[in-house]
Amino acid sequence: MSQPMKRNELVLGNKTLKDITDDICAPVERFPSKGWMALFVSAKTLFLFYILTIAMVVSTGIGLLGVNHPVAWGTMIITFVFWVGIGHAGTLISAILFLFRQKWRTSVARSAEAMTVFAVATAGIFPLIHTGRPWLDFWLFPYPNQRGPLWVNFRSPLLWDVFAISTYATVSTVFWFVGLIPDFATLKDRAKNKIRRTVYGALSLGWRGTAKNWSHYEMVYLILAGLSTPLVLSVHTIVSFDFAVSNLPGWHTTIFPPYFVAGAIFSGFAMVITLMSLIRIGWPTFKDYITIDHMEVMNKIIMMTGLMVGYAYGSEFLIAWYSGNIYEQYVFFVSRAFGPYAWSYWIMICCNVVIPQLFWFKKFRRSIPVMFVVSIFVNIGMWFERFVITVTSLHRDFLPSNWGQYAWSMYDTAILVGSFGMFFTIFLLYLRVFPAISIAEMKPVMNVGKDEEGGH
Amino acid sequence: MKTHSHDHDHQNQDDKKNARPAIQRDRTYWKSFEDLNDTPEFNEALQTEFMSSPIREEAAKEGDNDKWARREFIKLMGASMALTTAAGCIRRPVQKTVPYVKQPEEVVLGVSNWYTSSYFDGQEGFGLLVKSREGRPVHIEGNTKHPLNKGAVSSRAQASLLGLYDPERLQGPKRNLLNEKRTNKETVSVSWEDLDKKVVEELKKGSSYILSGNIASPATAAVIADFGKAFGTQHVTWEPLANDDVAEGQKASYGDANVPAYRFDKAKTIVSIDADFLGTWLSPVQFTSQFAEGRKNPEKMTRLYSFDSTYSLTGANADMRFKIKPSQQLTVVMGLINEVMAKQGGSESAKSVAAKYKNAAETLKISPETFKKVAEDLLKNAGESLVVAGGIATKTEDSLNLQIAVNFLNSILGNEGKTVLAKKGNNRLTASYEALSDLIKKMNAGSVKTLIIYRSNPLYALSKDLGFAEALTKVPTVVYVGDKMDETSQFCHFIATDNHALETWGDSEFAEGVYGIHQPLIRTMYDTRSFQLSLMTWAYMANVGPKRLITYETFYDYLRAFWKEEMAAKLAKGQNFEDFWNNLLQNGVVGEMASSASARTFKADAFASIKSKVSDSAYELALYPTIQLGDGTLANVAWLQELPDPVTKIVWDNYACLSIKTAEALKLKEGDIVEVKAGDKKITIPAHIQPGLHDGVVAVAIGYGRKHAGKVGNGIGIDAFPLSTVKNGQTLFSGLAVEIKKTGKHYDLVTTQGHDSMEGRQIVVQQTNKDYEGNKSANIHRHHTWSLWSGHQYNGHKWGMAIDLNTCTGCSACMTACQSENNIHVVGKKYVMQGREMHWIRIDRYYTGDVENAEAVFQPVMCQHCDNAPCETVCPVAATVHSSEGLNEMVYNRCVGTRYCSNNCPYKVRRFNWFNYAKLIEKPMHMALNPEVSVRTRGVMEKCTFCVQRIKEGKNKAKTEGRALKDGDVKVACQTACPTNAIAFGDLNDENSQVAKVFKSEPRAYGLLEEWYAKPSVRYMAKIRNNDKETKQAHGHAENHDSKEAPKNESHAAEGGHS
Repeated sequence: MSQPMKRNELVLGNKTLKDITDDICAPVERFPSKGWMALFVSAKTLFLFYILTIAMVVSTGIGLLGVNHPVAWGTMIITFVFWVGIGHAGTLISAILFLFRQKWRTSVARSAEAMTVFAVATAGIFPLIHTGRPWLDFWLFPYPNQRGPLWVNFRSPLLWDVFAISTYATVSTVFWFVGLIPDFATLKDRAKNKIRRTVYGALSLGWRGTAKNWSHYEMVYLILAGLSTPLVLSVHTIVSFDFAVSNLPGWHTTIFPPYFVAGAIFSGFAMVITLMSLIRIGWPTFKDYITIDHMEVMNKIIMMTGLMVGYAYGSEFLIAWYSGNIYEQYVFFVSRAFGPYAWSYWIMICCNVVIPQLFWFKKFRRSIPVMFVVSIFVNIGMWFERFVITVTSLHRDFLPSNWGQYAWSMYDTAILVGSFGMFFTIFLLYLRVFPAISIAEMKPVMNVGKDEEGGH
Repeated sequence: MKTHSHDHDHQNQDDKKNARPAIQRDRTYWKSFEDLNDTPEFNEALQTEFMSSPIREEAAKEGDNDKWARREFIKLMGASMALTTAAGCIRRPVQKTVPYVKQPEEVVLGVSNWYTSSYFDGQEGFGLLVKSREGRPVHIEGNTKHPLNKGAVSSRAQASLLGLYDPERLQGPKRNLLNEKRTNKETVSVSWEDLDKKVVEELKKGSSYILSGNIASPATAAVIADFGKAFGTQHVTWEPLANDDVAEGQKASYGDANVPAYRFDKAKTIVSIDADFLGTWLSPVQFTSQFAEGRKNPEKMTRLYSFDSTYSLTGANADMRFKIKPSQQLTVVMGLINEVMAKQGGSESAKSVAAKYKNAAETLKISPETFKKVAEDLLKNAGESLVVAGGIATKTEDSLNLQIAVNFLNSILGNEGKTVLAKKGNNRLTASYEALSDLIKKMNAGSVKTLIIYRSNPLYALSKDLGFAEALTKVPTVVYVGDKMDETSQFCHFIATDNHALETWGDSEFAEGVYGIHQPLIRTMYDTRSFQLSLMTWAYMANVGPKRLITYETFYDYLRAFWKEEMAAKLAKGQNFEDFWNNLLQNGVVGEMASSASARTFKADAFASIKSKVSDSAYELALYPTIQLGDGTLANVAWLQELPDPVTKIVWDNYACLSIKTAEALKLKEGDIVEVKAGDKKITIPAHIQPGLHDGVVAVAIGYGRKHAGKVGNGIGIDAFPLSTVKNGQTLFSGLAVEIKKTGKHYDLVTTQGHDSMEGRQIVVQQTNKDYEGNKSANIHRHHTWSLWSGHQYNGHKWGMAIDLNTCTGCSACMTACQSENNIHVVGKKYVMQGREMHWIRIDRYYTGDVENAEAVFQPVMCQHCDNAPCETVCPVAATVHSSEGLNEMVYNRCVGTRYCSNNCPYKVRRFNWFNYAKLIEKPMHMALNPEVSVRTRGVMEKCTFCVQRIKEGKNKAKTEGRALKDGDVKVACQTACPTNAIAFGDLNDENSQVAKVFKSEPRAYGLLEEWYAKPSVRYMAKIRNNDKETKQAHGHAENHDSKEAPKNESHAAEGGHS
């Protein structure tokens, strides 16, 4: 009989059940640290700056950005796809890994899911403000109206996008919130003042921890996990339709749905690594919960999805060649790799395909500084992937007389940077007021991997 | 519980229903069998018959009489309210309308009136039809009855409309307070009475002069002549682009100075030596339409050879273009004369003069065979050929020699009297530099006491060598008649502010015997007075001069009397004057163009004395006017500044064109600023690298760099007039030796076209005459396309357009027509650089062939109104939809501006309102807007509509006349302006229409990006170069004659400027 596979412990430091509750509730219950304050103030300033930028764009015109003829979509759509992509890892971790009974997901699921919700919220603003007349955006929703009634065009991928994003935002928010209910109750029980008790009491929706509560909870959580799972695949598939369904060379490719999903998971996990590294630095006690093992598993996923994305890049070339379509061939063989935007293409290749190869080495997979840097590069690379798709396809299409460049302006920079302000403001607030790790789910996995006691 | 309450509801309703009084009916009279039989359905219908909510009726059909109607209503209301509250901030423009209190008889609100008028820019003139809506001119077209332009019109003529509404136009008489140095201290308003009194006082002192441009109006000329009799005033004419070289050449060759008429329509072989007759020389609109006559039938095409020292529009359209430098102009003609005489014979003395140029081909670096072929072609079509030279690019020291040589060549070819008609042209083109130099001499001598300057701008356009500014200070009184505070008027004592042309009566004679009327379109908007009336008033106040000058109160009365007395006699042909006059106003023109003239004898000694004075130098200057701005008078018109140069596609600037080799030698990139030095004069100007330019040429456009044109035109480009040099009394614009120096500075030149090569794609299909002989569809690769879907059905009309690339010269008149018709905004240089120009129709220009001798092709591109329009499917709010007549309609109100349609358009013809451009229209410029086309708000997409307003107008007209729509009833704006009739528009379902025939059976027709299967409603007809060459693979695929050697001359301006 061979040696049974020994798993590493999911929680380190021989914690008791009380330790877990104390550790996880601590950041919520104590006065914020100076580090947090510093981060929060800068994120919030950036957020206010972002709001101001949006106000200027909405009041003056989308022309403040670099969008033009022929590149009619720019920073806003690029950053939209970027943030939607970021959102994917959260749902994947919390729903799909839940269904596959991957116990290691537990410690990162909560924050990953929070990241999803906030990333989708950040993303969701872009399609609304990138229109020429944002105050008429409600025309994008099909509802009985007094204008005819005039309906939306169900053939337009942008409309599918409206449904996909709003469904995704709703389901992932509900899923995330349902998971939080038992922990809110814990916080309520531990509350030392009335306001806390009232607020967390209200949020916990009258949770009493009875067996029936638990039974219902588990069932709802399972169902929501089941509902979220197809969304992980569908949302980015539909986002990719915005491009794939059009007839622009460089957009019109059948590989886009799986390619986008893989890219989304890739960038999402990179963002989880970025955030978890920061959480580990900010709250050293969390190192016992979010262990190097967790990080390593996620790095493996990054490496795998990175290879998938690289494969997609390669297959685009193959199909462009095989299609015999001169326009498509021009886009891939001339415009992207060697045209005026070649730099963006090579940034993308370096960040997304080359740099993640470091994770072939266990030493790098388990090194926090290395993985932090790599995750940042992956995020940069994935933003550039969307830039390459959107801008380089548009800037040189069918008739050479139309060719032009994207007219990047300071508003583009402000919008891009500002969106991070929004995301981090919400995320930092979340870390302060919500338990960043699921208390209720941590406790059952404590003994996992303890071989002697009959574990796995 | 729930079920119970539901039942309860039902119960309640049933109770209520029962409580209603049942309608009692008498069965004696019945309406229908249902009534008679008293069916339950009938009873039900009866009960709800007069309850008229449409929702209720619909619900009633489903048998739910009451219940759902109310709920449905509340539901709809709730949903709408909830979502529309979000729309509280929608811009709802407040507009006040005021009706006519007394409506003028001829004005019907909403219906446009068209008036004949005329346009003259000092060189070119033709008849106009001006559209007036509710008393204000909004659009300018060519007069179809005018024999010169036959409905065609130039960009500049159309854009002159904006001059009327220019906010900076002077609004009343002014007086400049000049200090001792005669610089302007202050400008003050004066009353006409004061001004008139002072001016008359000065005039009475005698020695007065009038300086004006060419006067093409017989009546105005009569006023000036009468005024001359009154005050002894002498009249001097001068134009910056004066054709005195042609006139002088005629004089030297034949004895009489005149600018003859040229008949390009009768010439089978045309040789142009720097005469840009398709763009800027003499009468380009007329010439373009004549030239197109010879291009329409591909079987019998004319051949145009161009020897080009700039890259002119004529060169771009030539079947064979040869690059030369200005000093070689004479060599070309003399070389041709030598070749012709070698074949044809001629006097020994002439032969010996020409023999000096027997090596012309070598000097020009043209293969001797090709050069011989030019001469052979000329000879073959002797009497039906035409050699022209002229324009400021030929104003070298040899310009007179050049003209004499050209005249000689035309004479020996027998073209004289056939394609060159002496005295049948515009005999009123008398302007000359010589006359002005004489005037300046008199001014310096102090013998000019009063100078009246009528719309001339010598302080801008005249070489400093002539010293006009200094001479002006020696004139005690200078009166300026014009409507702008420009470079010259600000140094004049008085400004007797003139009307705009569209406010003035007048007449014209643009060709011998062709008389036109010039009707005003609007009453004077401000306190201005026409030049003619000013002269009449001054004479009246002094009570001197012929009777008719001082009798009439208005110039209109004078004009009418003049026509009654002088013109009617020779033109009315026995008609009574009232009828004649009314016909004249309606038709705008009387008289016919002469088709022949008696041939004159060439004065042999003129040719014998030809001796070149220009020496060859490394870099030679060639100044040229552009099609957009001409001499720069209209520099303040934004439409023209944003109109791309037809060849370079650069907007809002001029530049020094250099060849690729020259740029390499000087290490220059596009937009690098260079110093161009000619003798002691220099300018610094950005360089433009021009494929196909001679390595020894520095070509710079004049008409830019105005300092006092107005807000739009001030400081746009660099003034190149200062480079013109006076040598031996002659003002030279070309052939001057120049030095170019790199300054190290850079400047962004902005083009509307990002790339100059077709990259081997089938975009503009070009055939040669040989290809065409073999296969009329040569070089067109037809694709097999198919679809699962049967497509839209068009049961009524189906609109389509056909564009003949073989006749299109790229002159860009269509772009201005479209801009004026469709209220298209101008965005300015900064935003063109960002790719935000708004033109609905653009003209793409691609270079083909090897870079050093690049040929240019042009292609107008507008919305293709695809049957399978890619834009329609992707719009999430259905703001762009397909009409039952095949139009791709853009619903501005519905557009939220996702711009997805633009991304998905393979032709990229959609334009987006990035900002609220309409808000920037300064009053009274808004009066130039066409009320039939909505002004787009911020954030909506727009594009060519196929002039849907004109389609509606045409359909309405046919309907009110009770007939079916005929081909030609609907003419779109670009089509009407086109001087070559290259654009045809009509109903594809009408098989007799011109477009339907092209779609069905024209072998040269192809759709742009046909293989993409968007099924465009526009067909292009392949361009044919009549150059006797044969394209490789002419009968095969379109991959491609130009891909390998095509100039990869990325436009650094557009591409680099963005980053």
